[in-house]
Amino acid sequence: MTLGFTLPDRFGSQALGGCYAPETLVQPLLDLEAAFRSALMDPAYMAELKAELRHFVGRPTPLTPAPRLAAQLGLKALFLKREDLTHTGAHKINNALAQALLARRMGKHEIIAETGAGQHGVATAAACARLGLSCTVYMGVTDMARQAPNVARMRLFGAKVEPVEAGQGTLKEAVNEALRAWAARCDRAHYILGSALGPHPFPTLVRTFQTVIGEEARAQILEQAGGLPEVVIACAGGGSNGLGLLVPFLGDRLQRIAVEAGGHGPDLGEHAARLDGGRMGVLHGCKTLLLQDDHGHTAETASISAGLDYPALGPELAALILDGKVEVRRASDEEALSGARLLCQAEGILPALESSHALALLPTLAAEGAATVLLGLSGRGDKDLSTYQSRSGL
Amino acid sequence: MNPLLPFLMAGDPSLEALPGLLSAAKALGLEAVELGLPHSDPIADGPVLQAAAHRAIQRGATPLRVLQSLAGITDSPDVVLFTYLNPLLQLGAAELKRLLAPTPVRALLVVDLPFGEEPAFEAELRAAGYPMVPLLAPTTTLDRARQLLAERPDPGEEAPFAQRFAYVVARLGVTGTGQGLDLKPVAARVADLLSLTSRPLAVGFGLSDPRSLTAVRRLGATPVIGSALVQELAKGLGLREALAARLVDDL
Repeated sequence: MTLGFTLPDRFGSQALGGCYAPETLVQPLLDLEAAFRSALMDPAYMAELKAELRHFVGRPTPLTPAPRLAAQLGLKALFLKREDLTHTGAHKINNALAQALLARRMGKHEIIAETGAGQHGVATAAACARLGLSCTVYMGVTDMARQAPNVARMRLFGAKVEPVEAGQGTLKEAVNEALRAWAARCDRAHYILGSALGPHPFPTLVRTFQTVIGEEARAQILEQAGGLPEVVIACAGGGSNGLGLLVPFLGDRLQRIAVEAGGHGPDLGEHAARLDGGRMGVLHGCKTLLLQDDHGHTAETASISAGLDYPALGPELAALILDGKVEVRRASDEEALSGARLLCQAEGILPALESSHALALLPTLAAEGAATVLLGLSGRGDKDLSTYQSRSGL
Repeated sequence: MNPLLPFLMAGDPSLEALPGLLSAAKALGLEAVELGLPHSDPIADGPVLQAAAHRAIQRGATPLRVLQSLAGITDSPDVVLFTYLNPLLQLGAAELKRLLAPTPVRALLVVDLPFGEEPAFEAELRAAGYPMVPLLAPTTTLDRARQLLAERPDPGEEAPFAQRFAYVVARLGVTGTGQGLDLKPVAARVADLLSLTSRPLAVGFGLSDPRSLTAVRRLGATPVIGSALVQELAKGLGLREALAARLVDDL
């Protein structure tokens, strides 16, 4: 007998995902799946979500042609899906808002969230303020230091930011602490996980609320360019942005690429490239590709980008990669900084460090002969100004 | 009835101290101890056991070294290995069975493995004599509890406590001492569960003083003492002294 979920909870030929949760969280996860399914079938919920995405988030986001950068690189055309122009400045708000509406519908008025770069934390704090929910965000102390503007934003929105000192003080530890907090308050709190990972149903829930990115982008590029691109590319930390953009293109004949953080070196502990040295393992409630040591302890990771600095790849994206439906590349810290510089100077757009990892691949794609590229610009770079200033004098 | 199920963190205060602690537990007449395998990401543990796991890992208490250090130990109660799934998965069932064979480990309590998520792995270990302990949380409905107790069945009265008991999680949240566990819902819960099963029950999470341990025993269940004991042992006390220090006055 399995746990009794209704939606598929495993992905791909290697059955990634699953629900590896402590028993205390199993019933809350079953309840969440039921609430999610019923909300998707409820016209009132869907109408409210659609209205909020339009009037609060600012959807649809534009698909911006980048002709100067395309010409400079030798591409025929480059299109940017502008999640950086959403309210709060990254794609994270799509999921945060949808889950906050779901929480309210479940009668849960306390929200718990984790955050790495702070974009999911800010988005959740904003959604909670908008809906009148209380909000506590767990954030590693390293990330709080390097993404300080986002800490201030969350606090302005009335959220409590709980510093997590354990380990490296990054996203992994923040998720640990959020899961613990949820176990203690699951009778009254909802946990808004920000990436397409965690125990079922979270990966499916987050992907469902993020595919709006790719659905819009696909319709927009058909209209603006008169056809599909050769390449669709997005950065991938846990995978919410990668899946959100790439999944709606799965049925198309084109190259789908997810870019991982290459960090500052090839050895374990120097990067967050799960396809290089990651092995199948279980972390934070799901089975997926995981950077780990020989003992099954989670490895340390490194990336200039807090949002990509995570040891596991979301299970659905990992499955798509392992089954050959999505290609994976990596960009180093330095390459990401170069990618950001390219976009700033050619198009007047300041990308988040996460998105810059996808931008970093553009010269390679041009050299490989790609003509038209659609790139997911997952967030804006205001939060990263201090890193840009200190690392590249932008 | 087994009067107490103490939790020890392997490698804290040290792996060298482990045989002495196990021997002391046996001398106290305890039928079983829970032994924590230190993990990098203990999502079900509170600050005390997180810190203990961290110290143990720093001292080199890897899963392999912990299991090797248990090999050949006979002066010990039955050991219930308390662990997260990933280190076991990385060893694989065959290697795990080989490592467990010469140890006093008689059951596994895998915090993040609900029944059904790794059926082949679980079945292979059970067949080799390492059943998984069923966990019953405050959020577990009675229907689900009935199902869990059937899926991880009682091997029968001849089997030792370690292989028979179900673990009742006394409150929401993670392991740890907490402030003043409310025993009223625990009493109701244990009564409900005793109506479902005749197997022994252990109650843990949040028990840290003699009063609550005694109260759990009066319910007909075995109290688990974890964080409070680990804190005392970390000071270098022996098991008997650590228990006497603040926990147990009636063993």
